[in-house]
Amino acid sequence: MTDEPFRDGLIREMPNLRAFAVSLCGSLHLADDLVQETLVKAWSNADKFQPGTNLRAWLFTILRNTFYSLRRSRASEVADVEGLHAARLAVRPGQEGHLDLMDFRRVLAELPDEQREALILIGASGLSYEEAAEVCGSAVGTIKSRVNRARVRMAELLGIESADDIGPDRNSAGITQAEPWR
Amino acid sequence: MNDSSSKQVTSEQALNNGEIEDTIRLDPHIQEVIGKALRSHYDDILKLPIPDTMLVLLAELEAKERNKG
Repeated sequence: MTDEPFRDGLIREMPNLRAFAVSLCGSLHLADDLVQETLVKAWSNADKFQPGTNLRAWLFTILRNTFYSLRRSRASEVADVEGLHAARLAVRPGQEGHLDLMDFRRVLAELPDEQREALILIGASGLSYEEAAEVCGSAVGTIKSRVNRARVRMAELLGIESADDIGPDRNSAGITQAEPWR
Repeated sequence: MNDSSSKQVTSEQALNNGEIEDTIRLDPHIQEVIGKALRSHYDDILKLPIPDTMLVLLAELEAKERNKG
């Protein structure tokens, strides 16, 4: 019998599963399919989850494996970055003082898979390097170098390779100014 | 062309074959800008309401299990 906390854990992790899934496949629609499949697999393998370990990392591992095996089986599926536009996930330009989110997502989608997933796991999902390494089946050092390469590549693709590219007032307002990157 | 054997590479560095590239350090401000954008991308999705279909699915899985006894 699956106990209550596991179920509650699944519900609690749903938003993170979605955010990780969107980051992997670039489409909210595909992401939701991926999350549903992950939930089904997680439920039927609940006995394999070790209480006290990180449920998010365990679920991410399932989701990631599902994503790559699905993608192998339908190799023609193209990342649907436009789907994100349609879902109106965009923040208004200049809001909260960061990069235009749509530009950022386009560039994120251009990263090699292994760099993108490492960057998301470390930079946003709250997993440790050790947990991210487990999710990806890689060594911690490999994850570290992927994250670093991903950041360098992002900077290249966004055209912000040198500090001069982000303007003189780099600490705060410089990032919020109109047309900060072009 | 690139004769890596001429360099002093520890076994650990060889293991992390990204070590050389890791020396390309980004300006901390740029790293911060990217980090911020990354989190805003992720948090933007976190804030979306969970679709009912997912909660329904979970309820169905639970019901199926209950019926099995």
